[in-house]
Amino acid sequence: MYDTLDIMSPCGRKMLLQSTMMTTKRELDFHYRRLNEIYDKDCAKIAHKLMCIKDIQTTLDRLASGATLDDIELFEVKYLAIVSGEVLQLLQEQKIIAVGLPHLEKVVEILDPDKSNIPSFYVYDSYSDELRMVRKQMRDLQGNGEELPDDKRMELAALLQRNADLELEIRERLSGELKEFADDLSLALRNLSVLDILIAKAAQMKKLGLCFPVIVEDGETFYNGMFNPAVKEMLGAQGREYMPVDICFEREPVTIIGANMGGKSVVLKCLALNQLLAQFGFGVAAHDCCVNLVEEVILCIGDEQSIVKGVSSFAGEILAINEVVKKMRDGKCILALVDEPARTTNPVEGTALVEGLLEVIGTAKGGFVLTTHYNILNDKVKRYRVRGLRDGAMDYTLEVTHCGDVPHEAVAIAESLGIDPQWIELTKKNLNN
Amino acid sequence: MPFIEEILKYDSLSIVGLEKNVGKTECLNYILYRLPLHEKRVAVTSIGIDGENKDQVTSTKKPEIFLREGMYFSTAEAHYKERRLVSELVEITNERSSLGRILTAKVSVGGKALISGPSSGVSLRRWVAGMEKFGIDLTIIDGAISRLSSASPAISKAMVLSTGAAFSSNINTLVQKTKFVVEMIGLEKLQDGSRDALCDIESGVWGVDFDGNIIDFKITSALAISSLKEDITKGMKIIFTVGALTDKLLNLIADSKNIKEVTLVVKDFTKIFVSEQAYRIFCARGGKIKVLQKSKLVAVCVNPTAPNGYVLDSDILCEKLQDALGLPVYDIVKNKYDI
Repeated sequence: MYDTLDIMSPCGRKMLLQSTMMTTKRELDFHYRRLNEIYDKDCAKIAHKLMCIKDIQTTLDRLASGATLDDIELFEVKYLAIVSGEVLQLLQEQKIIAVGLPHLEKVVEILDPDKSNIPSFYVYDSYSDELRMVRKQMRDLQGNGEELPDDKRMELAALLQRNADLELEIRERLSGELKEFADDLSLALRNLSVLDILIAKAAQMKKLGLCFPVIVEDGETFYNGMFNPAVKEMLGAQGREYMPVDICFEREPVTIIGANMGGKSVVLKCLALNQLLAQFGFGVAAHDCCVNLVEEVILCIGDEQSIVKGVSSFAGEILAINEVVKKMRDGKCILALVDEPARTTNPVEGTALVEGLLEVIGTAKGGFVLTTHYNILNDKVKRYRVRGLRDGAMDYTLEVTHCGDVPHEAVAIAESLGIDPQWIELTKKNLNN
Repeated sequence: MPFIEEILKYDSLSIVGLEKNVGKTECLNYILYRLPLHEKRVAVTSIGIDGENKDQVTSTKKPEIFLREGMYFSTAEAHYKERRLVSELVEITNERSSLGRILTAKVSVGGKALISGPSSGVSLRRWVAGMEKFGIDLTIIDGAISRLSSASPAISKAMVLSTGAAFSSNINTLVQKTKFVVEMIGLEKLQDGSRDALCDIESGVWGVDFDGNIIDFKITSALAISSLKEDITKGMKIIFTVGALTDKLLNLIADSKNIKEVTLVVKDFTKIFVSEQAYRIFCARGGKIKVLQKSKLVAVCVNPTAPNGYVLDSDILCEKLQDALGLPVYDIVKNKYDI
């Protein structure tokens, strides 16, 4: 998702990468209100301006600490002040109040004595009469760069030195005058970065068809028309359509059963992605949704086997799930998503392990969703079932079911994958016996 | 005023030396000194470090680059801080070098500076394009030692070549070696219906048959040519290599029966890395090389002094080179040509 975000400025990117997951409704509501405002406005012009922003925080820190800035740093400061002013004007034109920018006209004034209002800088002649004079003498002496006799060369060197001294004096003075604006400049840089991220998020929402989530604390999570943006795009490129699913859960644990290749793991990945998108203030991949806040998202999927650590697939998985159990028992609010727990052991004990897991989790805070092929009899869970094969095509729809009986479609699916006919035939014979 | 008029006909120029210490920087200063700045806006940059007081390798004195009032120049942050002139910073570009970000500034009181700009071909091309917003009429690139890539017509349209005793201290060898390079620069441009299509190809070795069909030989570069089993020249009027042209490919075509029918095509002369001997054999058997894009060689400058102190006779050198190249040759240091 990060890759599809068009952030214009390096400082915006840095800010995004440093951001942490938001865990309170207040923070998130505030964030989404701002995003909503940006979403409704045309920000193309502002985004274009933000492209020019450079990350000059180090320079601003130096300015605040009272250091004398050099030409290049003063240029950076002037540039930031000018661009910030231009963005401020655009914000006012569009009546956007989501992000505020300080007025920096005074900074521009200090660094633009000739009032040319172009983003370039040097220690202008107009800062000092002596400087102007020294430079005139230099110009006269130097001409177009002809070879100079020794005495003239000495004279030029002295002038060059005087010029450098005067420039330093002026830069000291300017840095002193600018020091009081260091905080405002930092604020401008920070808020321009925030603006950059908001614009990028809004653009991403429009591009990928994401929605604004409703945020709740200790409530129900539901998604209507949930999808996985990456898979959807891949299918789109092949001319195929993604089938979005609906899901809803609260405190009681959820089990998802269904045929192989029925999209169960994709559902878990979508839930994890969307929870994170919502808590990092992004658009969420669904038609509409309500997201219950958690402190952590844990996704147990894939094979934890490690020859190096001496852990088998089973051990790796059980240990990872154990972490979830511990945290949930400690009262931490977690969304835990577990793909086919205990699948690598015998079905009898495997089923018992899953049943036990569901009981031990109970109705802990957060959410708990697992997929399984085992018949789970626990009646304190919410069950979903993938509709499965319909006329030879997979229907990925999730429907609520009350019985734990898992579907028996593995052979049919294996057959549709074109595996060895003799193998299929013998398998069917065995099943009939 | 030798060759300045000629330079003004182009919007981009690169100055390349065939060896270190062949007087490239003096040549650059010569040009910068004489450009009519009231008519043209000029921007200067250089590949890698240039303009240092002393030669980094041989510790001989090197002339500095003198920038006149009104010129634009691009150099790395570290060198900008050491400039001995007054200039107005106009841009901090997104290019970086080992010496920091590349800055662009406009000179307001002339003086000397160290210039070290972008170093890759791609970033140079971006630099040339980026100068447009300052209304620059002529961009000048000071090329690196023994690297001709900046003179690629994809980057600059005109070029000045520096050669001298540092390249070889034997006049005959110097003339011969220089002549070969100049011959490559002067290779004829391909006039064929397939030219536009060939310009768009980005890698590999390709052929054009007599019906004008473009065929991909499915090899990544001319270096992998030995993996081909059949004779690629059969039925082809053009063999086109996008990357480097090496002796291997040249010899392969020189040995083929169809050498007289087929034309070997490269993007431009900077892609040719063949030895003179292989080229002569190729030509003697009737082979032809053509280019898709051609640079204009404006002038050849010589420096008769080698860094080891050996000095060639300037007049004889110029005369011999001029005869061999059929181009005007200048010793800028000795003959302080009139303004």
